[in-house]
Amino acid sequence: MADQTLPIHGALDLTPPRESQHTLLDILHDWVITVDHKKLGLMYMMMAIFFLLVAGAEAICIRIQLAVPNNHFISPQTFNRLFTMHGTTMVFLVGMPLVFAWANYIVPLQIGARDMAFPRLNAFSFWLTFLGGIFLYYSFIGGPGLYGTGSAPDVTWWAYAPLTAKAFSPGHATDYWALALIVTGFGTIGGGINIMATVLSMRCKGMTLMRMPLFTWLMFVNGAFVLIVITPLTAAQVMLLIDRYLGGHFFDTQAGGSATVWMHFFWIFGHPEVYVLVFPAFAIASEVIQVFSRKAIFGYPAMVAAVVGIAFVSLGVWAHHMFTIGMTSAGNAFFVLSTSLVGIPTGIKIFNWLATMWGGKIRFATPMLFCTAFLFQFLCAGLTGIMLSVAPWDWQLHSSYFVIAHFHYVLVGAIVFNVFAGIYYWFPKATGRMMSETLGKWHFWLFFIGFHVTFDTMHFVGFEGMPRWIYTYPADRGWQHLNLVVSIGGVIQAIAVLLFAYNLIWSLFKGKIAGNDPWDAWTLEWATSSPPPIYNFATDPVVRSRRPLWDLKHPEDPDWKYD
Amino acid sequence: MSAIPLVPASYEQEWHLPSKGRVGMYGLIIAESAIFTIFVVAYVYYIGKSLYGPTPQQVLDVPIFNTICLLSSSVTIWLSERAIERGNMRGFGLWWAVTITLGTIFLVGTGMEWYKLIYHDGLTIRTNLFGTTFYSLVGLHATHVVIGLIMLGLTLIFTLTGHVRQEHSERVQVLALYWHFVDAVWVVVFTVVYIVGR
Amino acid sequence: MSDQKNPGSHTETIHLPAPTAWPLVLAFGATLLFAGLVTSPWISVLGGILMISGAVGWFRQVLPHEVHEDIPVVVEEVALTTTRRQVEKIVIPEGDRAHLPLETYPIISGIKGGLAGGVAMIPPALLYGLIAQHSIWYPVNLLGGAGVANWRNPSTADIAAFHWQGLLVASAIHWTTCVLVGLLYGAMLPMLPRRPILLGGVIAPVLWTGLLHSVMGIVNPVLDEHIAWGWFLVSQVAYGVTAGLVVARQERIRTTQSLPFAMRVGLETPGLGHEHSDEGKH
Repeated sequence: MADQTLPIHGALDLTPPRESQHTLLDILHDWVITVDHKKLGLMYMMMAIFFLLVAGAEAICIRIQLAVPNNHFISPQTFNRLFTMHGTTMVFLVGMPLVFAWANYIVPLQIGARDMAFPRLNAFSFWLTFLGGIFLYYSFIGGPGLYGTGSAPDVTWWAYAPLTAKAFSPGHATDYWALALIVTGFGTIGGGINIMATVLSMRCKGMTLMRMPLFTWLMFVNGAFVLIVITPLTAAQVMLLIDRYLGGHFFDTQAGGSATVWMHFFWIFGHPEVYVLVFPAFAIASEVIQVFSRKAIFGYPAMVAAVVGIAFVSLGVWAHHMFTIGMTSAGNAFFVLSTSLVGIPTGIKIFNWLATMWGGKIRFATPMLFCTAFLFQFLCAGLTGIMLSVAPWDWQLHSSYFVIAHFHYVLVGAIVFNVFAGIYYWFPKATGRMMSETLGKWHFWLFFIGFHVTFDTMHFVGFEGMPRWIYTYPADRGWQHLNLVVSIGGVIQAIAVLLFAYNLIWSLFKGKIAGNDPWDAWTLEWATSSPPPIYNFATDPVVRSRRPLWDLKHPEDPDWKYD
Repeated sequence: MSAIPLVPASYEQEWHLPSKGRVGMYGLIIAESAIFTIFVVAYVYYIGKSLYGPTPQQVLDVPIFNTICLLSSSVTIWLSERAIERGNMRGFGLWWAVTITLGTIFLVGTGMEWYKLIYHDGLTIRTNLFGTTFYSLVGLHATHVVIGLIMLGLTLIFTLTGHVRQEHSERVQVLALYWHFVDAVWVVVFTVVYIVGR
Repeated sequence: MSDQKNPGSHTETIHLPAPTAWPLVLAFGATLLFAGLVTSPWISVLGGILMISGAVGWFRQVLPHEVHEDIPVVVEEVALTTTRRQVEKIVIPEGDRAHLPLETYPIISGIKGGLAGGVAMIPPALLYGLIAQHSIWYPVNLLGGAGVANWRNPSTADIAAFHWQGLLVASAIHWTTCVLVGLLYGAMLPMLPRRPILLGGVIAPVLWTGLLHSVMGIVNPVLDEHIAWGWFLVSQVAYGVTAGLVVARQERIRTTQSLPFAMRVGLETPGLGHEHSDEGKH
């Protein structure tokens, strides 16, 4: 048989079917039907970056409008829609997908698993989040709203009653807001369940809970935490829809309902949500800082305890968003104290990161630059947070630009900075190529300068009494110079982000080949090839300490001797 | 810093991890509990805040029989869990069917209660705050009962066709966990709506 | 990784869940179901149909057997090495700690000092009341006025009268503050460099009287008008000196912070801390 030829002359295609897929459609099909945690993680990430650019563009429009007094760059109606959509997008379509992007891509690799616990649920959650986002943005063309046809939600991202009542918000703009967020909320619940089950049930041999990398720990707490954080919002939005569609009276003051109840329900979600968003930033800092300081993380058990502590305390602080509604003094005092209490576990974390850096051999590569800036900025954000947690101070500055400056210090200064750090850090793992350091440094310094020009100045605009949400302002208030500075800073940040986007694309094709372990790191994801094969690890790893790769690289002095 | 090198514990020791199905279901239950908490808080907060009638005292009857049915279904489903664990498929199917029957009786009972409220007492979701919160909370629970019944019913069909075997006992128990949760929530809803709020 | 250690444990293919589009169909259906509420009921119907088919499809992926895909494994030798061979253990030097006093006063001495100081404050204050307003209740009510209900801008005669609530509140404030400051003294005096009585007894009261004097006009202008700062200073110094003297006369005890950890937790290990054993008995 062997020397006989087939009756048909010509070559036989011996390529296995997998490798013949290279048309664009095939690749797309491959990604759309995937249940692989790495692809889904990257899809979450691409979604987040896409919506980051969209919401960033909305912010730039807002800043152009506010740059000079009596401006009419956009209409007041558009202004309302833009800041509503900016907030909603940044929280639900950028922040939340980022949580799941990191958790999906990194956690299974760090715990030595082949995939998430529920791979199909994972795909389902992603598509719900993504389609929910598309649904929300469809409102721009499809939603007959307050001012006629084709309008997006314009009731701010916390949508206080009674503005959301049928009488004040006719049309469907508010319904788009509630329905789209319910859809993404279901996606979030699925994602949270998945992370929790993955960490508890998929760890490789020897990976006890107290040997998990801190990144995984934070993601685990976050996965369980979102389950009780996002659901109150879903419940409240269902109530809102019952009011709007079925004529219910939950938030209808005419029938004995209460607008304050909506505020409570919203902020019971809204405040812990901030911690949901910031935990990935903590997680990234906990990895990057130890690798680039060449020291094991300081105070690991305290770090774990602190994050659990933050999660618990943050469930009891929501009404500090509502000091101005006139609570009882006992209520005010309780929320002042509980809010200030958050400072303790957060302080533990900051001190432990500093102690990790202390005495270390620090390399200021781009990820470390971003993390170092994060430490400083997060501290400042925490201090203004403590200021605002004091009720009388809050009465003075509530709904002023000081508050905006404070929470953007957290959301940009802490979260976005660390997201950039994480992307620079794990990009080589995901693509096999390094990101350009030169462009990275430019990106860092431009973004750093832009950030401080914008948000440092914004504190002072707030002190001078400029309220939030105003469409424009007269020239005699003394706000125009500072506002112009803020807007210029915004443009600098925009340039930095575009530079970053360019760096991503350039490095994807032209970046230096990374190798498996470019940073000389210690967690399991660096033990497989870059990008990892679909099965992650050819053989199931076994770990004996918190830094399995350290043990392998230093067989003469492994960590497990000191367990 | 003095560190004492310890003899590492044998890392070939057995490695136990919790079942992912159970963990996942507990996650879902945590999330659902938070949703119910918000609805229960809303109900409690709005007790007696309706500006006009009918009030709970006037129209609500305590559904004792319904409650007994739903709560005892937790016992029957536990009996069927035990049966499938021991490979007693007939016992499993029997108790499973009893559970579904009890759940259905509860649902029908709720339907009759609602019929009476709507057509005799004129209480709808838009009548007053009591109507809004009552139908939302009890309706949310009833939705969960319906979903649970659909899942239980599918399992029963596959049991009758012989597709469910002893090795599926893990999955069956995860599903039963959900049913226990639905029952437990009813205890809270019952207390709040028919005892505290009445 | 530990590939090298157990090379036999991998198979040639690995089961991974097969890619499937049904979750996408289900998610799309769910989104359309909700989207129907803001567009047209038919969208919801379409969403419902997609959801049912998605659920059925998903169900068939998982049951009765999970659909798998066999991925051929390419075992790569992943060499994990580092060029950073030098490892240093960070040694925490003995002296690199907060400097804590070797000896301090027991807690009870602070309380004693505070109480004694509190007694010493009373004569000057009452004397002031008698001389300035001919009433010993005047200073009491200044301190405890917050406890007298419904006092709005009281007259001097009001303040000079006896109010039992005022006495109660004033006593509570007085003794709590005295004991707390006394405790602070007990903790601080051993750490003050020289002449603890001068520093703690005179300079500190002068400083906080100055501080109070400067802020009281802003915090509570009404109260400020009624305070005679000279007399106030006298009673504060009386407190400081008395409390300081009482505290300083107490016997000092060794602090445990400077002892080795094993001794602090009470480990009775041979060879530990013999040289400290007799001082440590206090």
